[in-house]
Amino acid sequence: MSKNLRINKNNFIDQTTRISFKFNGQKLFGYKGDTLASALLANNIHLVGRSFKYHRPRGIMTCGSEEPNAIVQIGNDASLTDPNVRATEIELYEGLDASSQNCWPSVNFDIGGINNFLSPFLPAGFYYKTFMWPAGFWEKYEYFIRHSAGLGKAPTRSDPDIYDHQYSHCDVLVVGGGISGIMSAKLSAEKGLDTILIDDKSFLGGSTIYQENESYKINNINSNKWLANEIESLKNYSNLVIKNRTSLAAFHGYNYLLARENLTDHLSINERKGKVRQRLWKIRAKKVIIASGSIERPLIFSNNDRPGIILSSSIKKYIDYYGVKTGENISLFTNNDSAYETGISLYKSGVKVNVIVDIRKNSDSLIVKEALELGLKVLWGSTVVDTQGYKRIKSFEVMKLSDDGNNVVGDRSKYNCDCLGISGGWTPMVHLFTQSGGKLKFRNEDNVFIPDENKTPSNQISVGSCNGEFKLNEIVINTIENLKSFLSLSNTCYDGIKIICPNEKSKRNIWLLPSDKPIGKTKPFLDFQNDSTAKDVKLALREGFKSIEHVKRYTTTGMGTDQGKLSNMHALGIIADTTGTNMGELGTTTFRPPYTPLTFGAIVGRNVGEFFDQTRKTAIHNWHVKNNAEFENVGQWKRPWYFPKDGENMHQAVQRESKAARDSAGILDASTLGKIDIQGTDASEFLNRVYTNAWSKLEIGRCRYGLMLNEDGMVYDDGVTTRLGENHYIMTTTTGGAANVLSKLEDYLQTEWPELDVYLTTVTDQYSTISICGPNSKNIITKIVPGLDLSDNNFPHMSFKNTKISNVNCRIMRISFTGEHSYEINIQSNYAEDVWIKCMEAGKEFNLTPYGTETMHLLRAEKGFIITGQDTDGTLTPSDLQMDWIIGKKKFDFIGKRSLYRSDTIREDRKQLVGLLTEDPKEVLEEGAQLVENINEKPIEMLGHVTSSYFSPNLNKSIALAVVKSGKKLKGKKLIVPMENKNINVIITDTVFYDKENKRLNA
Amino acid sequence: MLNFNPPIEEEKKYNDLKIVEVEPTIKINLRSNKREFSTKIGKILSILPPNEANTSSGNESYSLLWLSPDEWLVYSNNNTKSLNDQIELENNLFNEISKLNQGAVTNVSDHWVMINLKGSKIFDLLAKSCPFNFKNFKKKGSVVQTVVNHVDVIIHNKDDNDLNLFVRRSFSEDLWLWINDSARFL
Amino acid sequence: MFIINCPYCGERDQTEFSCGGEAHIERPKQPTELSDDQWAEYLFMRKNIKGIQFERWNHAHGCRKWFNMVRDTSNDKIQAVYKMGEKPPVK
Repeated sequence: MSKNLRINKNNFIDQTTRISFKFNGQKLFGYKGDTLASALLANNIHLVGRSFKYHRPRGIMTCGSEEPNAIVQIGNDASLTDPNVRATEIELYEGLDASSQNCWPSVNFDIGGINNFLSPFLPAGFYYKTFMWPAGFWEKYEYFIRHSAGLGKAPTRSDPDIYDHQYSHCDVLVVGGGISGIMSAKLSAEKGLDTILIDDKSFLGGSTIYQENESYKINNINSNKWLANEIESLKNYSNLVIKNRTSLAAFHGYNYLLARENLTDHLSINERKGKVRQRLWKIRAKKVIIASGSIERPLIFSNNDRPGIILSSSIKKYIDYYGVKTGENISLFTNNDSAYETGISLYKSGVKVNVIVDIRKNSDSLIVKEALELGLKVLWGSTVVDTQGYKRIKSFEVMKLSDDGNNVVGDRSKYNCDCLGISGGWTPMVHLFTQSGGKLKFRNEDNVFIPDENKTPSNQISVGSCNGEFKLNEIVINTIENLKSFLSLSNTCYDGIKIICPNEKSKRNIWLLPSDKPIGKTKPFLDFQNDSTAKDVKLALREGFKSIEHVKRYTTTGMGTDQGKLSNMHALGIIADTTGTNMGELGTTTFRPPYTPLTFGAIVGRNVGEFFDQTRKTAIHNWHVKNNAEFENVGQWKRPWYFPKDGENMHQAVQRESKAARDSAGILDASTLGKIDIQGTDASEFLNRVYTNAWSKLEIGRCRYGLMLNEDGMVYDDGVTTRLGENHYIMTTTTGGAANVLSKLEDYLQTEWPELDVYLTTVTDQYSTISICGPNSKNIITKIVPGLDLSDNNFPHMSFKNTKISNVNCRIMRISFTGEHSYEINIQSNYAEDVWIKCMEAGKEFNLTPYGTETMHLLRAEKGFIITGQDTDGTLTPSDLQMDWIIGKKKFDFIGKRSLYRSDTIREDRKQLVGLLTEDPKEVLEEGAQLVENINEKPIEMLGHVTSSYFSPNLNKSIALAVVKSGKKLKGKKLIVPMENKNINVIITDTVFYDKENKRLNA
Repeated sequence: MLNFNPPIEEEKKYNDLKIVEVEPTIKINLRSNKREFSTKIGKILSILPPNEANTSSGNESYSLLWLSPDEWLVYSNNNTKSLNDQIELENNLFNEISKLNQGAVTNVSDHWVMINLKGSKIFDLLAKSCPFNFKNFKKKGSVVQTVVNHVDVIIHNKDDNDLNLFVRRSFSEDLWLWINDSARFL
Repeated sequence: MFIINCPYCGERDQTEFSCGGEAHIERPKQPTELSDDQWAEYLFMRKNIKGIQFERWNHAHGCRKWFNMVRDTSNDKIQAVYKMGEKPPVK
């Protein structure tokens, strides 16, 4: 089995640097420059994996990103292992450890292989048809299906690798480093444009660079040598950036493209440490040149999937570029001239080329003549009808084609081989073009979809074989001509270029090659990864599927990790032939990004761990951390949730904090509330229009609570606004609503009321807010600001004073969200931590207790104060909240006013805010729990739900707020909260549970 | 005296990249669409507010950044200014502009945190998470308001490879950490 | 991601903007005089066409100014941007 199939003539592999690697545990050697695939082939290993459905042995079929079969698992570390890696793309590195996927116990002996013999019972749509009934059995089936599904194994631990993002802007982006891409990049750079050239390989030059053939000459030297010189000349341009190992993932509108650069996957594990593994480039290009090339098509005949059956151009690349023989007795099967180039390369490398089976009747092209002169044997007008060999092709059988190509005639003749090259012509890679919104047209003469130049989005162009140009002279001349107009070049360094190349290219296209057996007895694979065959497509058509999108999903053709790069065209061709439709009318399935699979790591970049989301911290955050606060995320803010002491749990801490705040004093960091500075001669009028209540008569120095609605009349935000001067206010908003409120207010000012002289400036981060509440709050403030007269006369509830703490100006407001006598100190943020510490020192003798959001919520719920966003959800009017008192009925207009008497908003059976008490005062309801009246009713009517619920230490009982249908009229009514294990009896009450007379505000 | 606690208080160096928080810096937001405004600003600051988008004006003491057709940010170039200087400038501007209904003056010294970035790779650093095309930004004095790592920022091109970046105080630690993290991968 | 030419700041990435829905729907000057149906027309009814659409956009992470945009929703081509209060430059 183990053999060295490497030859010594090539220029591209560094045969002085040996690299050891493992495949399925076996230690093997390759060279620097190899891919895993080329190294395996050099070791005579073709069998790489098992197919998805039938577990058929599969080998390396291609040499690039279109590879459907040779996908492997890399590494076995729980966090670093990588599934579904194409062996044809991964570069060999020291210590590479690859293993086959989708086989058990091993790729050579795979239990799942039994599916191959069951295949007559596994037709297209098998799962849809079989597991539909009996209904309810799906859960049982699913276990087994899930178990046998999937390709590689996902890592089980988090990925320690580093992924990064980078925006980039350029004049011209060239995608693809083949001959047309290199010429494009040079022309663009020559003109002085900022140019980026990307290519997914480690080397530039595409397929021309290893085209060692005297028949192809540019300016009198061999085309490969000419191109090598061109690549060398690119180094002279400082305005050209070349990115190798970079694969274009997506081409969006406005020339926004995503490309993934592989930075370390080709390095040994030790060399990777501390480096970025992959970088996702977000490129904005003024112009895009697509030079993505084309890929060879397979041919569709029975058992065309055996290991050792390889695309003919890939065989050529393995021998010419990697110096690797894919076999020692190779035959070729083709419908066009390109296989002859492979034959000549093999012959010149000393590899036996047994026969070339050609479905054409003949060809007089120069390349064919050259092959014939070398003595290669051609079987004209013939087709392969079957192949033999389980883990590697051993032989194939050939029959003559009828004149019309629909049938085979005569007898089978058998040829031995260890490798069969197949060539079905070329498919332009139009994925990127269509992703960007371009439309395709079908060219009947050689059966290709190519970009429609009339339906190409602006500022992009396709050049080279992705534009359907396959002959060297066409590619070179058209690239120059097209770029002249695309980049407005008057003359170029390529003017007068001379090209010699074989000119005749003929092709005989038969999508599904005929056989002497009925189709049911054959296995002509279309999609090698998903194991869908031509007969599956035909079955789907017989069963009535017409749209290609439906056929695709029913047969899963083109739905593997390769996205059908090899299979889609044949599937379309067979559908067109079977239904008698023109392929151009049939169209293609949608090409969606990414072009090749992207790692999740590349997609998220550095937005993992501590950078998962942006976090906002108050100026007092460090103190909270030092004092053991547990934090709650409120929007992006980190807010202290509660401050546990000596092993307290959350409940115990909150009960202690709540009690302390009412018994003596509590302190809260309220800095996260939104603050908007409002100035201008129309500031009062503006507030009249945005809040439901009246503002004109608010005295300077006083504060007022305001409620803001949407135009639909629903409560949107609330907060206290303070009048600082004649034309100067400061508005507070909820923590979560701050940005939206400012944006909404700016919207009205700029669009509806541009006549108002009002300016808004956000000062949320400018001032920190320290709230001190409780009967001893006054004593604490007195200690901090000794000279301030805190008497109710001088400093009543809902007013403020400008003062100083030490050398720093501050504003103290007497407002309350807890119902206690309380003060809010607003101070410039860079001094806030120190003021907080001073408050704590001053409050020591009063047991001043820091509390978090949970206690704040509890205290306000005792008072029945709403939290917008918790007790409201955008469907409640002020009246629903029993807050009719805040509607300025006399005001001409305010945002949402007209909606308050729409037929729907005046309904009496709307959901309305109420209080709830549980029959058992110890029973605390779950927020979100439903409320019903009659538990036996079917279907049971949901009357509402609990919005806030707490155990109140100050009342020593459970309290809750809820919204209930017609709730306002239901005071005293008993309802039921049905829970999983029990039904909880509750009674509807007033929303205010504590200090209904508001005596404590002035206590 | 209260202790002054700016959020970052660090200076970091990565190869030729140097980043540092520059505080205290006086920052005052100005808004106006009134005719007298420019003259009044000129009198107080000895510089005129720029009318051209994405530009700034300045003298030894102050830089004045265009933020929108009716909004500017003035900040002190000399970070040794005391709290008293801040109050004095705020009051001065407020009395001449806000009080006389010529616009709005708002002290935002503690709202924004100013981070100075120096080095040849500062634009590559920002471009890791900022969609703005800095190729149009190399002119001295250029100003842009954009997002870096999803956080709103104002960036002022002070000099060659020398930027002042303003970020809201609450986001400043997050962005600072992100800048330090990204600087490792330049 | 579009490139949007903010009428005040110039070309910027779409990331900096937020869309505010259909343009040229003026808030009624005297809402109280409207019937429920008339008010509902203002409040709820919006066009959602494939083709030329007039939209309001805000340069939310830039100059914070609102402006109008004419966009072809079938191919996302922005045909014009213009300031609030200005007449649309295309019909």
